[in-house]
Amino acid sequence: MDDLQPIRDLYGEPEADPILKARVRERLAAEPRRRSRFSWKVAVAGLAAAAVAAAVTVTVTVTVTMPGLLGEGTPPAEVATISGRSILLAAASTAAGTSSSGAYWRVRKLHRQTHPERLGTGENRYWLVESRVTEQWVARDGRIWSGSRALGARPRGAADEAAWRRDGSPAEWSSRGEVLSVSAAKGEVRRITGKVPFSMAGRETTFEEIQRLPADPAALTDVVAETVRQERADSPEGVLADALSGLLWSKPTPPDVRAAAYRALADLPGVRYLGTSADQRGRPGAAFSFDLQGSIRRTLIIDPASSQVLSATITGTPGGVDDRVEVVLEAGWTDDRPAVPDLP
Amino acid sequence: MTAMSWAARPAGDAEVIQLSLDEAERFGAIFNTYFGEIHRFAVQRLGADHAEDIVAETFLTAFRKRARYDPSRATVRTWLYGIATNLIGKHRRLEVRTLRALGRYGHDPDAPGHDDRVAAVVSAEVLRPSLAAAIAGLHQRDRDVLLLVALAGLSHEEIATALGIPYGTVASRLNRARKKLRVTLGDTNPMLEAEEAGRG
Repeated sequence: MDDLQPIRDLYGEPEADPILKARVRERLAAEPRRRSRFSWKVAVAGLAAAAVAAAVTVTVTVTVTMPGLLGEGTPPAEVATISGRSILLAAASTAAGTSSSGAYWRVRKLHRQTHPERLGTGENRYWLVESRVTEQWVARDGRIWSGSRALGARPRGAADEAAWRRDGSPAEWSSRGEVLSVSAAKGEVRRITGKVPFSMAGRETTFEEIQRLPADPAALTDVVAETVRQERADSPEGVLADALSGLLWSKPTPPDVRAAAYRALADLPGVRYLGTSADQRGRPGAAFSFDLQGSIRRTLIIDPASSQVLSATITGTPGGVDDRVEVVLEAGWTDDRPAVPDLP
Repeated sequence: MTAMSWAARPAGDAEVIQLSLDEAERFGAIFNTYFGEIHRFAVQRLGADHAEDIVAETFLTAFRKRARYDPSRATVRTWLYGIATNLIGKHRRLEVRTLRALGRYGHDPDAPGHDDRVAAVVSAEVLRPSLAAAIAGLHQRDRDVLLLVALAGLSHEEIATALGIPYGTVASRLNRARKKLRVTLGDTNPMLEAEEAGRG
């Protein structure tokens, strides 16, 4: 029945909610007896103790990010050169010397997405781009927090901006059951429970598992390739490259393992150097890309001087879907406490 | 997850329903066993905000009608899914709105580190909006059958008893749903192709 998997993926797995269960039980117990000579009060008696015990593990489902679809930024021109390898090796050397002390692993990202519906009135229709900053915090014991803050919507291009002005420069829109605003929101941060904090090549991965990864490039490649094989990816080479690159920025990878990941990427034949480039914030770096699946391609812009990944972009998605750009504002250890994301 | 085997379950449930006619508190065990999955099904179809009413109404209806429950026709689980499906069916517009939101964001998209599931995630994200729209565009009857298969994992026979429709009707509704999803998604979509064989 695997053909129905996309439907299951679409609907997802909502979290169990023991508090809700207890509440529904109470509601039912409070129902009037009607014609029945039995009541729910009796029917559900004795379950209350179980409910209290279960409530301790209550989970909160957070729906914050937008999947970062975006139509801006120019992909760098492809330049064949052998210096790509030396850039990755230089980044590896830098990576080996970075710090890994702090109470929390934090990744702070900027997402931008074109709102899927054109807004405005009459002749004056325009596209809006929504921006959002998200933060993921993971403590060394595996506790997770997720923060999110909308930064406000803006007309996408000059023509959109002109149409927006003709429309009277509205500051708020109601579209698809939500309110969009030009202003930044207050934002939120929430504890996430019941989730494994990381994933590698599609497999859930714990903090400890990441700490135990080998610091030898060939051994690291073997471990990751084995995970890819077990997860039966459709295009193992692309997933291998992407899982290795994920170790560079989306996970609390120990410095020597990060260095190994850079060296392993330098040896992968599918990783191409595209030349110098800049991310959407204008930060300069070196661009690398590899094919993920079919025409879909991942492009990373890295800063060899700091070994940080500046942005990770997915392009070439069929069906006219916008590029997906994640700008990495920060990825590293901190002693700050989880809090609502600051404005960038 | 209960460790109880599925084989043992249905007979036990039917007995519990029987006993609950005299001892109402027995019904609490049914609530306890099936609340989780009926709630999940309601959240998936109508969103978390509205699931509570649906799931409460499902168990209340089941409790009130338990004297009419016929174990020779359906397991308790199937029977509950049937009740839930009928209740969900009264909220067609809400379901379409929920699907639209799912198409945009999916459920809980921001789990840390999930950026890596690229191949899977990318194709899922590409498909998501059009798949959600295609499901929203199905006739309610066809969608009920499709989702009882896809989300609840019920067999054709169980769906027939849950919804009180002939077995052949289940198959034809499911086929129609699949065909429409295929047409909508065209060839960007590796899904829904393999099927047909191996289903009795």
